[in-house]
Amino acid sequence: MKAFNQMILGCLLAFGVITSAQAILTIEKLENYKGAKAYLVQTKALPMVDIEVSIDAGDRYDPVGKSGLADMTATLMNYGVQDDKRMLSEAQIADEIADLGASIGLSVGGERAILRIRSLSRKDLRDRAVQLASAMLAAPTYDPNIVRREKQRTITSLLEAETKPEYVLDRRFKKMVYGTYPLADSPSVKSVGAITPTDLVQFHKQFYRTDRMIVSIVGDVDQAEANEIIHALLKRIPQSGPFIAPLPEFQRSPVEPLAQREVQIPFDSQQAHIAMGMTAVARNNPDYFPLLVGNYVLGGGGFVSRLMNEVREKRGLAYSVSSYFAPGKDTGIFQAGLQTKNDQSSVALQVMSDTIAKFIADGPTTSELVAAKANLVNGYPLRIDNNRKLLDNVSSIAWNDLPLDTMEVWTKQVEAVTLDQVKSAFEKYLAMDRMKIVVLGAQNK
Amino acid sequence: MAKDHEDTREYQLSNGLKLIVREDHRAPTVAHMVWYRAGSMDEVNGRTGLAHVLEHMMFKGTDKVKAGEFSRLVAALGGRENAFTNRDYTAYFQQVEKSKLDEVIKLEADRMSNLNFDDSEFLKEIQVVMEERRLRTEDNPSSLLNESLMATAYMSSPYRYPVVGWMNDLQNMKANDARDWYRSWYKPNNATVVITGDVDAKQVLAAVEKYYGSIPAQELPVRKPQIEPPQKGIKQVQVKAPADSAQLTMAWKVPRLEVGKLDDPEPYALELLTSVLDGYDNARLNRVLVKQEKVVNDVGVGYDMISRGPELFEIAATMAKGKTVAQAQVSIRKALDELKQKGILDSELKRIKVRILSEQIYKRDSIFGQAMEIGSTEMAGFSWRDIDYMLEKMQTITPEQVQAVAQKYLVDEGLTMAVLDPQARQSVAKEGKR
Repeated sequence: MKAFNQMILGCLLAFGVITSAQAILTIEKLENYKGAKAYLVQTKALPMVDIEVSIDAGDRYDPVGKSGLADMTATLMNYGVQDDKRMLSEAQIADEIADLGASIGLSVGGERAILRIRSLSRKDLRDRAVQLASAMLAAPTYDPNIVRREKQRTITSLLEAETKPEYVLDRRFKKMVYGTYPLADSPSVKSVGAITPTDLVQFHKQFYRTDRMIVSIVGDVDQAEANEIIHALLKRIPQSGPFIAPLPEFQRSPVEPLAQREVQIPFDSQQAHIAMGMTAVARNNPDYFPLLVGNYVLGGGGFVSRLMNEVREKRGLAYSVSSYFAPGKDTGIFQAGLQTKNDQSSVALQVMSDTIAKFIADGPTTSELVAAKANLVNGYPLRIDNNRKLLDNVSSIAWNDLPLDTMEVWTKQVEAVTLDQVKSAFEKYLAMDRMKIVVLGAQNK
Repeated sequence: MAKDHEDTREYQLSNGLKLIVREDHRAPTVAHMVWYRAGSMDEVNGRTGLAHVLEHMMFKGTDKVKAGEFSRLVAALGGRENAFTNRDYTAYFQQVEKSKLDEVIKLEADRMSNLNFDDSEFLKEIQVVMEERRLRTEDNPSSLLNESLMATAYMSSPYRYPVVGWMNDLQNMKANDARDWYRSWYKPNNATVVITGDVDAKQVLAAVEKYYGSIPAQELPVRKPQIEPPQKGIKQVQVKAPADSAQLTMAWKVPRLEVGKLDDPEPYALELLTSVLDGYDNARLNRVLVKQEKVVNDVGVGYDMISRGPELFEIAATMAKGKTVAQAQVSIRKALDELKQKGILDSELKRIKVRILSEQIYKRDSIFGQAMEIGSTEMAGFSWRDIDYMLEKMQTITPEQVQAVAQKYLVDEGLTMAVLDPQARQSVAKEGKR
């Protein structure tokens, strides 16, 4: 215990990661390995390392009728693997990871699947954690008994989720906003029930290949060690695989009469839940910064946003209300939402709509723009002040194919945003006559 | 020990305010928190939820800073801020770039003694709090279950009150109730300021002296011990609420770590028992109940040895499809009986201890997390200096000691069981256009 602590302290005193707001750590682009891009940020203060593998294998690749396949393919990777020459059971894997003091997390979003390792940087511990992750990525077994068990667990969770207002709202909203794009379909009892072990093996073979992977590393390793990690992680994984059909285009939410784009879901919860939104932009869109700054004013700026002010501060209608853009490598969405007791749902929806409509029409005021920039610029150090946050940044830069100096120029790009840019960006991408609206709750006249 | 703490300093101002500073120079940011030792356990019946309501009102203006202005000023500094209320305490925090620290200290010190909100602000905000209760409790069956569990397990301890308060108490709360609460508890001698990050402890002390130093101390209301009488047998409560799966929570009265008794092995053994049962994917309950017997869909174990009030050791499970609460209870009891009879393996305990050691490194990655740990430990009556001692103590616990606490405390005399009986939602109408 003591030795551990002294080791940390010694390191803390000897190094500094960021000595001033100006000196932002550089991202090193490492050599591609088997078609996989790789990035490193060295931070020496703590004897630990975070490693992420992003795989271009998100929910949007779910085949029709098998929603949930991408998710299960990733999240069952640690439930049995072929490790070098022997099989490792789910129990052995879990015990080993625990014995290393490491963690390996698996998650799936719309665009990508993510595997994250957190380990102490000591070579023997780190190497074994990487080896286990490599076996998961290269050779998961998808044992039919485990697949059956996990399908049943997922179905049970889905049935539970269907009793929850926020889940029902979100599923319906996705269906509307994604339209003909694959993300419109959420996993259901039927679609998960239809998934077979063969589907998992097939999906894994098709998508888990190095030409669809990106590795990001943050922590106490140098370039040579990082390269070692990347090789160890990916060496067993094939570089390419079977043909993958291109995704359909995510089409812009069309102009429609209100009746066509607004849905009421009767639900006997105490609160009505409301969602509103439409297609928006990709992260690499040149208007990203005007939209970021503008949305801070509209609904992103916590207690000081217009939505918060109108809905909560002035009228006490809701505990939480916000709006956000979710840009990805490809086009993402804009979404706003709140919850309020049922008999206030009409007025709350009206206030939210009016606030968004006015913002699209008029943009922010000069003082709002100044306040938004002040927050974003002054607060930038808080976005990069530990290894975990640095990894989030590197990973986003790598996945979205942004310039390597993104962190260095971020505040300059915020500062450069003008009133006109915000106004025209909101007018260009958002429109009230395109907004999908879902209101879930008891009927309210 | 002292050598381990070269990065952390503790001071006390003449008005009783305690200040703890941890220097961590990895990045140019800082976390500033003020912790008041006043939580829902300090409330009285009829005024439950008051600690949390006051937390909301703290953003509603002082003599100098008008309603809503606090958040605008922090936002302009690039800060992130919020507050949280618990059974034991209420805490406020800001995270800022280091050059902005003095400004948030100034703002926080101002609202320690100059809070001054209008009745109209209170009337709006109490509506917001009721919406928060609807969101987090009324429409959330797991929260409803937990609320009933606490109110059943405890007869006299104020831990029986929900932190957010009963709805009827919120409906009948007055602005003056909040003002009285503020005048009673928001005093420097009831507060601890915790600052972590890229700072110099001496400079921080000077700033804290400057802004908090002139606030006068005041005698605090008498806190009655309100010790919960010993439980004499199983208690049960059922909650009917919209859900699909039944849920079961089994909660046993167990000891916590007492101030001044840091060498008591039992609380440490209970912490380790928690991890043996639920600390990793292949821990006992997940392995046996979820993976082998498939009797529950999810299971979790909770215990926190550090708190002001009495502690429960909780096992909470959601039923697997087609399985009953009775079946789950049998399986949980069987797993516990096996542990009580045969003990645990050395390798199981070693695994947990390795994780505790590595967590020591990982937690250093977050200055916010470090401030949280220091603050919550202090609020429970311990010193931040005890944290490392507790962790060292944890490493000395034997498998026999873990087995012994299971045998001694996971028994029916002190057990409360709460069952969520799932109900279909009443909604009948079909989805439609408005």
